[in-house]
Amino acid sequence: MAPTKDTPFRSAEMSMVQLYISNEIGREVVNALGELGLVQFRDLNSELSAFQRAFTQDIRRLDNVERQLRYFHAQMEKAGIPLRKLDLDVETLAAPTTTEIDELAERSQSLEQRVSSLNESYETLKKREVELTEWRWVLREAGGFFDRAHGSVEEIRASIDNDDAPLLQDVEQHNGAADVERSFSGMNIGFVAGVIARDRVAAFERILWRTLRGNLYMNQAEIPEPLIDPSTNESVQKNVFVIFAHGKEILAKIRKISESMGAEVYNVDENSDLRRDQVHEVNARLDDVQNVLRNTQQTLEAELTQISRSLAAWVVLVGKEKAVYNTLNLFSYDRARRTLIAEGWCPTNDLALIRSTLQDVTNRAGLSVPSIVHEIRTNKKPPTYLKTNKFTEAFQTIVNAYGTATYQEVNPAIPVIVTFPFLFAVMFGDFGHAVIMLSAALAMIYWEKPLKKVTFELFAMVYYGRYIALVMALFSIYTGLIYNDVFSKSMTLFESQWEWDVPDGWKEGQTVVAKLNTRGYRYPFGLDWRWHGTENDLLFSNSYKMKMSIILGWAHMTYSLCFSYINARHFKKPIDIWGNFVPGMIFFQSIFGYLVVCIIYKWTVDWPGIGKPAPGLLNMLIYMFLQPGTLDGGMELYPHQAGIQEFLLLLAVVQVPILLFLKPFYLRWEHNRARAKGYRGIGERSRVSALDDDDDDQGHGVNGRHSVESEGEGVAMIAQGVDHEDEEHEEFEFSEVMIHQVIHTIEFCLNCVSHTASYLRLWALSLAHQQLSAVLWSMTMGPALKPMLNMGNNGNSFGGTIIDALILVVVFAAFFSLSCIILIIMEGVSAMLHSLRLAWVESFSKFAEFGGWPFVPFSFGTLLEENEELSEYLG
Amino acid sequence: MANGWSVIIGLVIIIGMSVAAWVFSPKGENQVLWRSSLILAFVSCYLMWAITFLAQLNPLIEPRRSDIREEFIHH
Repeated sequence: MAPTKDTPFRSAEMSMVQLYISNEIGREVVNALGELGLVQFRDLNSELSAFQRAFTQDIRRLDNVERQLRYFHAQMEKAGIPLRKLDLDVETLAAPTTTEIDELAERSQSLEQRVSSLNESYETLKKREVELTEWRWVLREAGGFFDRAHGSVEEIRASIDNDDAPLLQDVEQHNGAADVERSFSGMNIGFVAGVIARDRVAAFERILWRTLRGNLYMNQAEIPEPLIDPSTNESVQKNVFVIFAHGKEILAKIRKISESMGAEVYNVDENSDLRRDQVHEVNARLDDVQNVLRNTQQTLEAELTQISRSLAAWVVLVGKEKAVYNTLNLFSYDRARRTLIAEGWCPTNDLALIRSTLQDVTNRAGLSVPSIVHEIRTNKKPPTYLKTNKFTEAFQTIVNAYGTATYQEVNPAIPVIVTFPFLFAVMFGDFGHAVIMLSAALAMIYWEKPLKKVTFELFAMVYYGRYIALVMALFSIYTGLIYNDVFSKSMTLFESQWEWDVPDGWKEGQTVVAKLNTRGYRYPFGLDWRWHGTENDLLFSNSYKMKMSIILGWAHMTYSLCFSYINARHFKKPIDIWGNFVPGMIFFQSIFGYLVVCIIYKWTVDWPGIGKPAPGLLNMLIYMFLQPGTLDGGMELYPHQAGIQEFLLLLAVVQVPILLFLKPFYLRWEHNRARAKGYRGIGERSRVSALDDDDDDQGHGVNGRHSVESEGEGVAMIAQGVDHEDEEHEEFEFSEVMIHQVIHTIEFCLNCVSHTASYLRLWALSLAHQQLSAVLWSMTMGPALKPMLNMGNNGNSFGGTIIDALILVVVFAAFFSLSCIILIIMEGVSAMLHSLRLAWVESFSKFAEFGGWPFVPFSFGTLLEENEELSEYLG
Repeated sequence: MANGWSVIIGLVIIIGMSVAAWVFSPKGENQVLWRSSLILAFVSCYLMWAITFLAQLNPLIEPRRSDIREEFIHH
């Protein structure tokens, strides 16, 4: 079969290929194929667990490098150093050699050690700094206590000596300066000073009180500035405390309790001179520590800044390298020939490209052993590969959201490119709203490149669908012109076909009725503006839009049904034409095609002109089913109507048994005939026809491995052992085919009715949109413009006052923003969802099978795009 | 000027445009995309215009209103 060019019309033709690659260049070949992104490799080692595979060691090593790189990134974020993002559109990374990767691994190893040791010393220093700060606070605050306490030694002593004495006495009673220098030690009173977290103070006090039975004197002060806890990097409010107590054991107990409560105890001298020295010393050490700390931080930052320049590139390199080894793990290894064997799907038309790429890599490596690309024939179902460009991509996505089209069937996205936006526009039709939408879409397309970087999810979604929005807006402009709606107002582009029939003596407020012009002139484009604002405009537009919905729905479904003919022709299944397409089409046309013909016919006849009442089409259709052969009230649309309707109904009914039985019975007949002639079903045996040896006794994967060493032809068999699990050839079973066909028939016939009715949503939504915008106008702009309209009456050139004008500005702002939010965004989304449903259900059910599986080639491009972890490194 | 024949004339114009779209679609793998999209778009738009035109060709009801002001009655 000559390869035909791949078009977006159907998925690309695929081939199963086997690659024989010399072991030494396996990595380079996979790298090159990853850049190409055209091959989807199959797993040839599915019986092996992830740990048993050949390249697990390499992947582990790369995982470690990746962890180190993540560690750098975390450190950079902690230090607030920005990452230089990699813009793949601008820079390309050359494929690294193994030594380069090794170097990178080594380098990141040593860098990790360096950064972590720097971090460690930074943390130690930080801890030291906090300790010194705390000590300084203790010295300062405790010193304060001592200075005050020395003044009241007497009372304290009194309180110790005399149980009746109050614990604290008023300050006025303190003694003279002579006593100040008297030491506590003389009283056998010791003390413990330290720092404790503020939220623990209450518990601390209580515990001390209970264990020492109140034999203590505690003093505390708050440290005004929060201290940083170096281990968690959180700021903590702390208090300084000084506890005085009696006796060594008690003091030791207090120390223990303080430590168990997480308090830090510091050494404070009670002598004020010594204390002063201590303070000096602490200050000096604190200065030193802070200096060293600053240096360490600078070094760390310099190191990290250095890393930040190339971190993104490293991450990308390692990510690619990992993907390469993961892919290599899918290959099977022929020990005897030192060859890697890969198997996978690729587009047939790109085989030449793959071959030349392989050749290139082999030549560059200077190997004498050629790499071989061998196309094998298989009866496996190939994956569906639909090429897209930036215009069709979004359309293809909304189709793929429903399912993956069967291999080589008509790509459902082809009609969707027009029908989806068009049906949207039928519901959204308003010229004004469409123009706003169009400008948004054009802006997104004009600033395509800069806007691509926006990561805000909601916007990214709209941006992704910018071309859909463009086509939707263009069609909406057209339908807006047809509906003659601009923000719910009409445009008087052409002369109206109606004239007001003004009776004699007409006064304002009296009802007028328009009459048609006598020249036979009809409004040439869209709805006549004379209908705007009339009392019965809804009567007219509802009838018009309802009929339009039916006609457009009929056209859409007929068009979709035709694709099932194209599919049947392409797959060479004439029975699908004669058993499904033709009877289905006749059934649909003889009922709904007839309805459409009647609608159009009724429009073309001048009923008042020929003096007959116009028959209702709805009743006509109902009577056609309920009482075939009679007409509703005897009103004839055209001569011999009853007979023709009877015939059409009969024609439709006859199609049902054809739909039901023709295909299953034909298939059974064909099957039996083939059996009678001694044929077996194709592919009932031997799945890979490239191998003609009987493989039944060779068995599954592991056995196949032995045969590789023993016999020459066995190579492909490794691949084959896997086939047994995922490919079961279907036996012909009549009952199954019959049931399937019965379901199809019932579904098709019922759907003809329900889907046609479903298109009435076109009318409902366009009515809702138009009414909503009319209401918005009448609630905002209408009243605001009222004062301006007096101009004709009192002769002023301007009807309103300045205040009216200012109100108008405000009201316009409200009108415009509400228009955008409610009528464009909300109504737009709703119309889009309805249009999507019409595409997915009403259209796709007529032809698409959606029985395919997507082609996911091994590609660095998609790898980088889809990996969320990598995306933060890419600009 | 614009009477019942317009629908036929419009149809002829649309067929002409479709043929032109078929012939002048840029060659390449996206040719089928151009052809199908352009023709489908022409036909859809024509269909909608024709329906609107036909609906007003022999109207069964006339516009009626009672809030019209005197200065607009003869427009």
